[in-house]
Amino acid sequence: MADTPQTQQHELAPEEPRSDGQPGDRELVERAQKGDGAAFAQLVDRHQRQLYRLALRMTGSEADAQEVLQEAFLNAYQKLPLFRGEAQFSSWLYRIAANSALMRLRRKRRAPDTLSDQPLELSGPRFSAEGYLEPTSSSDWSQRADEKMMSGELGNAINKAVQELPADYRTVFLLKDVDGLSNEDIANALDLTVPAVKSRLHRARLALREKLGEFFDSPPR
Amino acid sequence: MTSPIQHCKECVDLLGEYIEGTLSPERAKALEDHLSFCPPCITFVRTYRATRRLCRSALAAEMPGELMSSLSLFLGKHVPGFPCSKSDTTAVVVETAADTGPKKA
Repeated sequence: MADTPQTQQHELAPEEPRSDGQPGDRELVERAQKGDGAAFAQLVDRHQRQLYRLALRMTGSEADAQEVLQEAFLNAYQKLPLFRGEAQFSSWLYRIAANSALMRLRRKRRAPDTLSDQPLELSGPRFSAEGYLEPTSSSDWSQRADEKMMSGELGNAINKAVQELPADYRTVFLLKDVDGLSNEDIANALDLTVPAVKSRLHRARLALREKLGEFFDSPPR
Repeated sequence: MTSPIQHCKECVDLLGEYIEGTLSPERAKALEDHLSFCPPCITFVRTYRATRRLCRSALAAEMPGELMSSLSLFLGKHVPGFPCSKSDTTAVVVETAADTGPKKA
């Protein structure tokens, strides 16, 4: 865990005030560490939605996500005396939840030992020997997208394409482009470097773009 | 002075950072210069952006109110002083394997 007890007390920078006037995470953590259950409830309320998305994206199951959330928040509460504020509370929490999700997946034998060593076969754009885009990679379907979306066909195609991504690429893509987590939070939660997150994200987007291109270029059914 | 981008492959490689605004100003300028004379790459940028937008629309996930309620009940049982009545009045209580005896709101 990134934030472990230290023998020396570090001097922390003042917490940035929140735009909504509510107390910051650090203040709530300090109150919760002194036994204020209502302060911990505020932290839960503030972070549960993002944590739910993380758990859902990693496990792929709403029921598993529910149990991951319970386990993660309870675990965080029990470890709260060890949290000294060197990391952001949200990052610390994401890591706890991600570990919980990974353990759950391993128990169900659905997860590899690491997220980074899977063989990868992802589609992407095709280039000529000189490095120019091939015509098959340059069809412009971006303006036709909303019309197709209305029919629900595109939604099905997107779901299928995302499910076909390797698990770690899918998780990074969903957390970043759908759920809006930062690259740093994703890296911390999934124990990846930020460059590795960026690389997976870009390759996932390229693969999905290819799949959507095939969908738009296919004859209407 | 940064080197110009001659080939589409280099443009595509930089696209992720470009659309997130994390590319250095010099490389962003070089990429935009390439786009100014490369219609296939302009199309590529459009469809790359559209991919993100469409996936976000199709796959957005909100935490169900029932799940918030059951989480609150669960933590109310295990965390001293945890108030568990805030969102429980409008949501159905869901019992989970990790919570064998939830309290009613």
